[in-house]
Amino acid sequence: MVKFILNGEEVTSNANQNERLLDVIRNEFRLTGAKCGCKEGECGACSVILDGKLVNSCMVAMGSIEGSTVMTIEGYSHTDRFSVLEKAYASVSAVQCGFCIPGMMLASESILAENPNPTEEDIRRGISGNLCRCTGYNAIVEAIGIAAKEGKGLW
Amino acid sequence: MVKSYFATSLKEALEIRGRESVTPYAGGTDLMIEADDNASYLFLNKIPELKQITADDEYIRIGAASTFTEVYHSELIPQILKDAVIEIAAPAIRNLGTVGGNICNGSPKGDSVLIFFATDSKLRLASSKGERILPIKEFYLGRKKLAIQDDELLVEILMSKTGLDNYYYKKIGARNALAISRVSFAGILDIKDGKIMNCMTAFGAVSDVVIRRPELDGILIGKTIEEAKAVKEKYLAAFDEAIVPIRGRVSAEYRKSVCMNLLKDFLESNGI
Amino acid sequence: MEAISKSVKKRDHDAKISGQALYVDDIVMEDMLYGKMLRSTKAKARIKNIILPEIPAGYCIVDKNDVPGENKIHVVEEDMPVFPEDTVEYVGDPILMVVGPDKKGIERILSEIVVDYEELEPVLDVRKSDVAFFHFNYAKGDVDKAFEEADRVITETIETGHQEQAYLETNGLIAYPEEGRMTVRGSMQCPYYVFGAVAKALGYDRKDIRIVQDVTGGGFGGKEDFPSILACQLAVAAKKANKPVKYVFDRREDMEFTSKRHPSICTYKVAVKDGKVTGMDIDVIYDSGAYTTLSSVVLQRGIIGASGVYNIENLRVTGDAKKTNTLPNGAMRGFGAPQTFFAVEMIMIHIAKQLGVDSLKFKEQHMVKQGDATSTSGKFHFHVPLPEMIERADQLSDFRKKRELYKNQTGRYRKGIGISLVYHGCGFTGSGERDYIKAIAKLKKNADDTVEILISITDMGQGAKTTFSKIVADTLGISLDKVIYSNPDTDRVPDSGPTVASRSLMVVGQLIKRAAEKLKEQWKSGEEQLIEEHYVHPDFLIPFDIKIFHGDAYPTYSWCVNVIELEVDTITATTQVIGAWGVYDVGTPLDLNILHGQMQGGFLQSIGYASMEQCNYNEKGIIRNNSFSDYIIPTAMDIPNLVTDIIEVPYVEGPYGAKGAGELPCVGPAPAYIDALENALENNIYHIPYTQEDAMKYLQEVEK
Repeated sequence: MVKFILNGEEVTSNANQNERLLDVIRNEFRLTGAKCGCKEGECGACSVILDGKLVNSCMVAMGSIEGSTVMTIEGYSHTDRFSVLEKAYASVSAVQCGFCIPGMMLASESILAENPNPTEEDIRRGISGNLCRCTGYNAIVEAIGIAAKEGKGLW
Repeated sequence: MVKSYFATSLKEALEIRGRESVTPYAGGTDLMIEADDNASYLFLNKIPELKQITADDEYIRIGAASTFTEVYHSELIPQILKDAVIEIAAPAIRNLGTVGGNICNGSPKGDSVLIFFATDSKLRLASSKGERILPIKEFYLGRKKLAIQDDELLVEILMSKTGLDNYYYKKIGARNALAISRVSFAGILDIKDGKIMNCMTAFGAVSDVVIRRPELDGILIGKTIEEAKAVKEKYLAAFDEAIVPIRGRVSAEYRKSVCMNLLKDFLESNGI
Repeated sequence: MEAISKSVKKRDHDAKISGQALYVDDIVMEDMLYGKMLRSTKAKARIKNIILPEIPAGYCIVDKNDVPGENKIHVVEEDMPVFPEDTVEYVGDPILMVVGPDKKGIERILSEIVVDYEELEPVLDVRKSDVAFFHFNYAKGDVDKAFEEADRVITETIETGHQEQAYLETNGLIAYPEEGRMTVRGSMQCPYYVFGAVAKALGYDRKDIRIVQDVTGGGFGGKEDFPSILACQLAVAAKKANKPVKYVFDRREDMEFTSKRHPSICTYKVAVKDGKVTGMDIDVIYDSGAYTTLSSVVLQRGIIGASGVYNIENLRVTGDAKKTNTLPNGAMRGFGAPQTFFAVEMIMIHIAKQLGVDSLKFKEQHMVKQGDATSTSGKFHFHVPLPEMIERADQLSDFRKKRELYKNQTGRYRKGIGISLVYHGCGFTGSGERDYIKAIAKLKKNADDTVEILISITDMGQGAKTTFSKIVADTLGISLDKVIYSNPDTDRVPDSGPTVASRSLMVVGQLIKRAAEKLKEQWKSGEEQLIEEHYVHPDFLIPFDIKIFHGDAYPTYSWCVNVIELEVDTITATTQVIGAWGVYDVGTPLDLNILHGQMQGGFLQSIGYASMEQCNYNEKGIIRNNSFSDYIIPTAMDIPNLVTDIIEVPYVEGPYGAKGAGELPCVGPAPAYIDALENALENNIYHIPYTQEDAMKYLQEVEK
């Protein structure tokens, strides 16, 4: 049994301590926004925010998150910050197949939370663990830059 | 059924470590690649004593469970280590992965490990019975073979506070992020009043263990730049012999060439 | 700019960005089981015996004996069995599937199965293969005479490697039986390909098969033929278990055992007279792998493009798709064209170097123009915008000036800049649309005056839902939210062909445009109406004969000029792309954001193809690069902003003037990248990927 806070709600998971956080949020809590792209920390599709930091949820054993706070795209999508980022992504059609996008959005949040005025290089570094095979990254980088401008004061 | 343990203090962790057969789990980024249902983990990621970064008169003391991100953001950390950790994988991995895990994974490709070798850092190991301090070079016995006892945990890494400012660092991966080192090199040349006070080099990802040969670097120590130039060929030849890369994802030839090129460039960038 | 080109919010945006979109792995059905394959560990062997452990209740083994229809998977040919009969032909050939309720239980059973193989000698090297699955050739002009009269003959062999599609969502499907019917749903590009294959394997009437596409996380060709294979295996399993069976590949299984771009070996013999190419004699070999899959059509496109954008009057091209005991290769974005276009671009550059002339000028002297004959004696019916595209690319990148500047560098860091000129033939090769596909599209107007698009075209990220909806909304003068375009379900949509070959918008988009025009004329508010349109072959074409490769292979062409600038660190032999430009003509853009996104995505995939994406086999025929840590694709930090620009040459037969777009960006970057590398290193390069190790080897040779 592992107790933690999931999208603002205190929850208890019955999962084995060695199970991956990714599998637990997808299977036990049916939050399928986090995707499994590789199960070895190499693609970022499973990114969530754990205690305020972006992590690959496939690389996190349940036993390590006792008392932690986890935010998935499902929780994030109800925030004002999400709304600004989402509009920025839409304005440049940065979403193609969409499989990397929930992770990419949380990486975007993480970039802006750390630095509300990121340079292009900061943005590229910030999403460097989130592989995207569709866009060539241009539109995503641009969208995060737009969100930084439009969301002044939010981050 | 196997049981994993979540420890909240170092004392508790050492007790469990002494009592049970457990695999220490700090950041999980190496262990979870091949997640093992049957492993008995000892979770160390929330133990305050293992996450402190402090300094005393002699050392910068880095708690073994400090993440790469925490190391990068600490004002106490020398730039050479920051340069290395910021190139590890990507943010989400740096937020989990720890320097202690990097060391205890036992791989010669560990990017922070290279720096700890190049700086002759020391490791503080503890068990419920006591503790000991070991130079990192003595900790690595061979590929995946470490001088850690079953009841011990790596608690701190002790880095020298001085003499690390004039450094050279280069990592070569297959790409600019999410890259495992194919070759890495760190060199430190401490020059005072025109004299080489210390020279420390290390080569990562080429052999079973990071290559650190202080007796060869000694060729340059105590010399002026001019004198160093005179022994440069001898120095390079000694390393040429010492570096015997094993085959990996990339050829031994490539790694050897890059090692020697970087070593030369390290010297040249210091006017040698 | 046309009004239609103005971008709108993508119709799949909200669901995807909020994490609500359901991909196949997100779907759970009641009583659902999982499947996992037992795959051959030998590249070629006869299976003597299989020893099974005791199978617990609730689990079952599915193999060749369970295939109720024909044990054949219909792709183009039918040489691949659903499950192998008694021999395995590559490492990964799926011998059987274990099906059951618990993944760990399945793994345990798999680990206890013992296969007794009689190992046979595999052919792993395509050069040593004497089995040509397909052999094509064609010629025009008098090639022998050209060589007799040549003052110089240049021969070179150029090679390209595998490329993995590396879509972020792996292949995955669910099959489930329901009242005597079989449904297969999941990640796919071509529901009707899957439909035909499953009907055959199950031996079912077509009415008893239903295929539904779910949100698909990228395809790039990798979900063109492969889902047909998995669907047959899974449908057989679901029939036997009489329950839903889900199979989503993990990354390693996907990388190791699903189709890739064909590796190629192209030998060019070129006749040069008075500084001009007068003839080419080209031999193209594609490595098919163990089964034919799509190799015939991939090879056709490859050999048709073998002379690139150049007007070569005397031309002879031979193509072979050869069998090896390796993974069957299939479709990947560009579909045979990137290989030969890379080869011909490099040949033209190398010849120019030998002649001591500027390679871009040399290429310009040979470029086709409107009215010229194509390689297959068809005609470039429409304006060829290459000259203005080259000028535009030069303006954007400062190519010509930099090219001069980067000659004779000696320092540690050396820069280079390269350029490529390519086309992509739009749509199916030859008369495929007319003779095989026979696309049908429907528009259904509901009583509430919403209009539903009924086609089998899938949106896998490329934006079909948005662009098709825009066509309907614009034509009818209704708002976008009145247009419905659900994921295709073969129970509801007609066969409008596969989502491949850069055909969707140009061909099916045109049908939808015509349907919308018709509906507009007949519009009766508050009533249900159904409009059906059928494919009509353009009448201006010179008929294409596939037997002799004669006539218009494509109705029209999309064009691209790529420029890539890079910097090599000679100490580490690493290369950094510092500038990347692409100028594209795909006719009228139906949505500029979407178009730029497509061009940029393909651009990056192909920079990867040329530089870092390496996929090798070991001596046992096992793929080494089977994970994202070994098969390296570019991250956001590996490239600068990719500059893409559009030149519009509208196509009369396409909706609003649109031509094919999706594959074009994957054709040109590799030769531009290698041209740049040659510029920096001052060498000739004959293969891709050209890795750090290759560059180091070369730099050391020069030093000696």
